[in-house]
Amino acid sequence: MRGVADDKPDRDGAGPDERAVARATAAPPDRSSSAITAMSGFREPIVVILLLTAFFTAVSGRSVDGVLLLVVAVSLAWDSARSRRAGPQRGDAAPASAGTAGPPADGRPSAGQRPTGRPLLRRRLPLVIAGLVLGVLYAAVAGSFTRYSWPATAAVISLAAVVVVAGWRGPLRYRPVPGRLPLPGSALWAGLLAAGGLWELASLFQQPSLTTTSYGHPTISALTDPLLTSHAGRSVAIGIWLMIGWFLVDR
Amino acid sequence: MNAHDVTVLGYLVVLLAGVLLELIAVRRRSGIPPLGEVFTRIMRTRTGRVGVLVAWAWIGVHFFAR
Repeated sequence: MRGVADDKPDRDGAGPDERAVARATAAPPDRSSSAITAMSGFREPIVVILLLTAFFTAVSGRSVDGVLLLVVAVSLAWDSARSRRAGPQRGDAAPASAGTAGPPADGRPSAGQRPTGRPLLRRRLPLVIAGLVLGVLYAAVAGSFTRYSWPATAAVISLAAVVVVAGWRGPLRYRPVPGRLPLPGSALWAGLLAAGGLWELASLFQQPSLTTTSYGHPTISALTDPLLTSHAGRSVAIGIWLMIGWFLVDR
Repeated sequence: MNAHDVTVLGYLVVLLAGVLLELIAVRRRSGIPPLGEVFTRIMRTRTGRVGVLVAWAWIGVHFFAR
């Protein structure tokens, strides 16, 4: 079954037939151009952000976090480079409006493909209820573990890994593909995110050291420490983290 | 007002600004997209999608995992 994007003209206006001819007649890439393409994944802004976060996390004494982030950054760079090499109609190189965030080979709907059948709400309701029950159970159990213990680490990392792997394969369900966002409004959100990040970074660098908290310049982690000392506090925090994850994975 | 208060105030200002932006985005045709729409747009590409999910995962790992 052909993907939705195959029938759409690409950025240059070429249709599927023109693209097939172009692929068939194109000269095989030489070794240097392949290397450049392989490295092109590292030019993705998100890959750069992940690499920087991995570095700062590792030098802050959280080597496990740093290694995990490094693995994801390198995998994402490799995947992105592979998509570029495969052609503009696959992976990230596909125009966003074509809605091809992930391959639909596993039967999932692509972003631009509206599902048919029973009404969506009726079909999703049991899933939502099951998800809520499982989420509450997970938060209660994971919150019972002491912070930074191995059981807490296993509980959080295993769920995080499942969500990231699921997200890697594409959207879970149909969502209308939004058009281009208004630039001033998007810039406001980006500016707010940058302001929050810089404020946190400024506090971090005003600590006595990267691993020692400061009362005068607390980071968000330092401010939340008292809330996360109790089982109830940890369970609520994990519950909020789960809800945000659910919100994101449903995008 | 000491350094601690100023730092906490900074976080609160950012948080309240976010709530305010979302309220404006949802209630009026202001040209500001709601946060959900921003994430939906960002997560149309694989790098965007994985990047956002990894940021979420990192928060959980940072606060709870060793």
